[in-house]
Amino acid sequence: YMGDEEEEGRGAYVCEEKKDGTIHGSTYYLTQRSFMPCEDLLYGRMSFKGFNPEIEKLMIQMNSRCKEEIEVDDKMEADVSDEEMARRYETLVGTIGKKFLRKRDQRVLQDEDEDGNSNTRPSKKAKKKFLKPQD
Amino acid sequence: TKPLWKGDRLLQGPAVPTRCRAAEACVGQVVLPGDVLLLPAHPDEDGERLRLGAGAAPRGRLLCGPGLRRCGVGLLVTKCGLLRHRRAGGAAAGGAYWVDSQQKRYVPVKGDHVIGIVTAKAGDVFKLDVGGSEQASLSYLAFEGATKRNRPNVQVGDLVYGQFLVANKDMEPEMVCIDSSGRSSGMGIIGQDGFLFKVSLGLIRKLLAPKCEIIQELSQLYPFELVLGMNGRIWVKAKTVQQTLIIVNILEACEYMTAEQRKQALSL
Repeated sequence: YMGDEEEEGRGAYVCEEKKDGTIHGSTYYLTQRSFMPCEDLLYGRMSFKGFNPEIEKLMIQMNSRCKEEIEVDDKMEADVSDEEMARRYETLVGTIGKKFLRKRDQRVLQDEDEDGNSNTRPSKKAKKKFLKPQD
Repeated sequence: TKPLWKGDRLLQGPAVPTRCRAAEACVGQVVLPGDVLLLPAHPDEDGERLRLGAGAAPRGRLLCGPGLRRCGVGLLVTKCGLLRHRRAGGAAAGGAYWVDSQQKRYVPVKGDHVIGIVTAKAGDVFKLDVGGSEQASLSYLAFEGATKRNRPNVQVGDLVYGQFLVANKDMEPEMVCIDSSGRSSGMGIIGQDGFLFKVSLGLIRKLLAPKCEIIQELSQLYPFELVLGMNGRIWVKAKTVQQTLIIVNILEACEYMTAEQRKQALSL
């Protein structure tokens, strides 16, 4: 009994309105104060014969959204083609990689470029090995 | 003492003798406040019992639209008008009942798109007149691309098209000019020129219905722009003043004209 009274008491004062405008929805009834879902009204801004092109675009968008669900095309048009992207990245890796070389390696690289030796292998000559003192 | 209302549901039946009819029988007829509409047998909404074998499992919830309230056995009518019904499917899953009533005075409803007139700027908030009992408030941040430094250019007397974020009988109505994803989608300040006038709410709904003949006939005349607010306000703009006034006169008069009279007026 106590639970019932409590619930009724709460219900008498609280008239909860949910996010989509329905009031106190139970499992079977939905109470709505707005005419929009009942009558499927169109969007209120309209333009005809090209008076306002943006509004005309909006009209098509809004009204078709009501009728069917359009799949939003998330793929944006690529400004740069894939090939160009790959080429760019190829050189980019080298450029950024140079930043992180140690000073000695950088000097060796410069020498290599001056010699005209286009050897892309990391030169081990730069690393001076520890020389054991000979007896 | 037993409480009379639980939320918006009437617990006890009406005290005076009223008409109790089946809901389907009244569709399209005039109903008066106090009428009780009985619905076909449905599962008890408080207990989640499943109807086994009956094959009448509800495929969606019944939408109880404007002018109707739930009461013990069915729906209680609170406004006079014609009863309308929509079958299950689409937006109103499970079907919808509502009363098509006529009124001139607007009551703010959440989610409605309305045209408001800016009456005052109070700090960070604009006060708008929407035709209701109270003025609606609109924050300057509720516009697309508005920040604290980048304020929208809104002056007193401007027209604003927005939707209600909060609209109930206990609080001051609040409007916004962006939708839930942050885009304006057509809302915001309505531009210069044009003509604003007021019509009844029923006409607005008639004009906004899909495939409205009046709008289709008008669109054949000449280019113009139209904004319809659910609070009964319409804003029209055409290339010349004369064209604008012609459209205004037709929209005001078309409520009480038959289709033939309207075609006659348009052909002139």
